[in-house]
Amino acid sequence: MAKQAVMEIRGMNKHFGPTVALKDVDLDFYPGEIRGLVGENGSGKSTVTSIMAGMQKATSGEMKYNGEPWKPLSMAWAQEKGVCMILQEANTVAGCTVAENIFAGRLSEFGKFGVINMKKLNAAAQELLDSFGLGRIKASDQIANYTFEDRKLVEIVRCVTEDTVILVVDETTTALSLDGRQILYKLMHSLADRGRTVVFISHDMDEILEQCTTLTVLRDGNIIGTLDEEELAQAKDEEKREKLVEKIRFMMVGRDIGNAYYREDYDTSHLEEVALEFKDVSVGPIKHFSLQLHKGEILGFGGLSDCGMRLIGRAGFGLERLEGGQVVRGGKVIDSPLKAIRSGIGYVSKNRDTEALILSAPIGYNIALPSYDELSRFSFIDPVKENRMVTNEAGKYAVKCKTVRQNVSTLSGGNKQKVSFAKWTAKDSDVLIMDCPTRGVDIGVKQSMYALIAQMKRDGKAIILISEELSELIGMADKIMIMKDGEVTGEFMRSPDLQETDIIGSMI
Amino acid sequence: MENTKQVKSMPEWLKKALGFARDHVYDIFSVAGLVLCVIIFSITSNGRLWSSYNVGIVIEQVTMYVIISLGAVFVYAMGYMDVSLGSQMGVYVLLMIMIVNATGSLLLAFLVILAMALACGAFNGAVAVWLRLPSIVTSLFLMFIFGGIQYLLIESTGSNTISTSLDMDFFTETWVMAGAMVLVGAIVFYLFNFTKLGKYTKGIGANELTTSQCGVNTTKWKVIAYMVFGVCVAVGSVFLLARTGSGGRGTGSGYAMDIMLCLILGGMPLSGGTRSKVRCAVIGSVTYVLLSNGLLLSGVEMNLVNLVKAIVFLVVVVLSCRDNSGYYPR
Ligand SMILES: Nc1ncnc2c1ncn2[C@@H]1O[C@H](COP(=O)(O)OP(=O)(O)OP(=O)(O)O)[C@@H](O)[C@H]1O
Ligand SMILES: [Mg+2]
Repeated sequence: MAKQAVMEIRGMNKHFGPTVALKDVDLDFYPGEIRGLVGENGSGKSTVTSIMAGMQKATSGEMKYNGEPWKPLSMAWAQEKGVCMILQEANTVAGCTVAENIFAGRLSEFGKFGVINMKKLNAAAQELLDSFGLGRIKASDQIANYTFEDRKLVEIVRCVTEDTVILVVDETTTALSLDGRQILYKLMHSLADRGRTVVFISHDMDEILEQCTTLTVLRDGNIIGTLDEEELAQAKDEEKREKLVEKIRFMMVGRDIGNAYYREDYDTSHLEEVALEFKDVSVGPIKHFSLQLHKGEILGFGGLSDCGMRLIGRAGFGLERLEGGQVVRGGKVIDSPLKAIRSGIGYVSKNRDTEALILSAPIGYNIALPSYDELSRFSFIDPVKENRMVTNEAGKYAVKCKTVRQNVSTLSGGNKQKVSFAKWTAKDSDVLIMDCPTRGVDIGVKQSMYALIAQMKRDGKAIILISEELSELIGMADKIMIMKDGEVTGEFMRSPDLQETDIIGSMI
Repeated sequence: MENTKQVKSMPEWLKKALGFARDHVYDIFSVAGLVLCVIIFSITSNGRLWSSYNVGIVIEQVTMYVIISLGAVFVYAMGYMDVSLGSQMGVYVLLMIMIVNATGSLLLAFLVILAMALACGAFNGAVAVWLRLPSIVTSLFLMFIFGGIQYLLIESTGSNTISTSLDMDFFTETWVMAGAMVLVGAIVFYLFNFTKLGKYTKGIGANELTTSQCGVNTTKWKVIAYMVFGVCVAVGSVFLLARTGSGGRGTGSGYAMDIMLCLILGGMPLSGGTRSKVRCAVIGSVTYVLLSNGLLLSGVEMNLVNLVKAIVFLVVVVLSCRDNSGYYPR
């Protein structure tokens, strides 16, 4: 007997004005599976799952949940009925405590006559956090005290309850660090073991093959195909794995993009000239940190959450108030983003929606914003020149859009990331600090981004690459610095023999 | 399913038209408002709207509103506003009258108030940043200060109104007014669309954090934006004086809100950002003047006129603040 689907989607279409995001999508989800959902940026993964989770409405089509027609009214409503989704971007309420965030919308359970029993609330929240293995997060703290990664974990705690039937995880792993990911994986598997359904969206093939039991591929709003458990199990077999990956990649992109991915050379030489120097810098957990970044060098930083690598990037761009020491470039002290940019430093922030991009502004405007100094002559900014530059940059990364006058808020997650990257390549900065630059970007474009970073090295630019992905660091960096609690605990030079397992030791 | 078929069977031109309408929804609304005002008041005023006398009055009023709201575009693009505008203008008019009466030089008078307007601009821009206050607070502060100065100035004369003997008819010549509007309009259009000032003020309104992380000295550009506004306020004050020829306790009161209404009627978003357009100032000012003028001509009482304005304000804000983008964090 065939298994009964928990969720059936039939003939779903979604239009955004002239953009067609979904075309006649039919999809079934079954109990007990971890269903991977893959596809290029803008292929409709977030759209189809968010319609299921009640975030937006389909233009047409039907859904059935446990055999009953499913017409979710809102996210909160769907969550109550057991369908919940963890989003790509941060979605916590600033200015509240962790506990208030976890029980947002259910605060009345903890109060009498409109007065909330904070003690009870905090205790309940802490208990939940502990049960997820997140004891280090304190329920009574302000959410703002926690990093981007931890806030994401708090969201997971908020979402997932005993009654969760379908959990959608939309590229959440890119926002988490290694330890956070383990917690999420464990959670996913325990849900699946209890006969619940997990829908897992990711661009990381290894992660997909390791975690998922079944897999569906989307392209341009169409379902291209679904691989069942049997097929996916081939991934366990070294030989068949290669073939499988190739097949999936082909389904995603529609053509063979080959295996070459990261830098191929092992040339770790660089110019003598120092491009950026940290002199005895102390900030937050980092104490007396010194470093020289040379022209033509790619320095990689890795570590778990709170290890301080993110702070290094921020300090290098003048975003942090240092407790001691200086960041210097060419004899000038860098203590504000303004000075940083004046001396040719660029910074791709990980915090895409609030720091890196102006969502309510057009794509073109976002890309051109750091470059208006160069674009203006005698105060005049030539719109033709501006448009040429912007279209060129957007084309380089194949940003999926109708025009560059479209607002960034209408782009899919990966396409937004491309815009945030394009801003700085358009500016042609000499020093680039990149915090997870390929976050949520699909494999095809990742390939071209890596090629570009390698080219930058050859052009003599200096690069700091901060990343959660060890494979990215191993694949791209000349030297990898692993940090823990604000200290560098391991340094690894680029080499063909370097393995992830060599590095992990110094992270924990 | 039916829905899709509809979408698919739509003719190409209709799709294009709908797309255009969606992209220009605010322009369409603001122009429609203007056209509506013209039609309704042409009828309800029995044609008096178009009498040459009334057209003259409309142009005089429009000139002042257009010039000041053109300057205000920069401030509103940043998502800020300046509530001190009215009392500033009151003081400027009184000061100009006093200086002109004492020295006979309008130029001197203008330079003095220009300097004051620039200083106010710098104050609103810089002090707000230094003290980490929202600029509405500094402009409230200025409003009280200037209210006080206006009171003291008029007290010192011992009468309720003062007027100037200087002949300012030059400024009420139609071609001069039209010329001033075109000139200020052209300069503002250039600054707003083709220089960093415009680009950065929009960025500050849309997301100040991102803008500053793109290497923009936000304090500097805030000050410049407010100062450009100051210049327009000073010029506008000259036209106000030319029109009234006198000043008193109430001169200027209500202008801050009027300008806000002008811009909103023209489709300016109150939150600022990249949707801000120079044309909002022009279309909105004309609509606003027609609205107040037409209501009076149609025999509506002064108190009721204000009520109508209040209702229009509410309706427009509610309509324009609807977020129809429907995006979620991805
Ligand atoms: N509000 C909107 N307005 C216009 N177009 C939109 C809107 N929301 C989504 N789209 C478009 O719908 C398409 C599908 O987007 P979706 O977010 O589902 O992609 P995705 O598969 O999740 O991609 P990613 O891997 O980058 O997250 C994209 O082309 C996107 O530009
Ligand atoms: Mg997505």
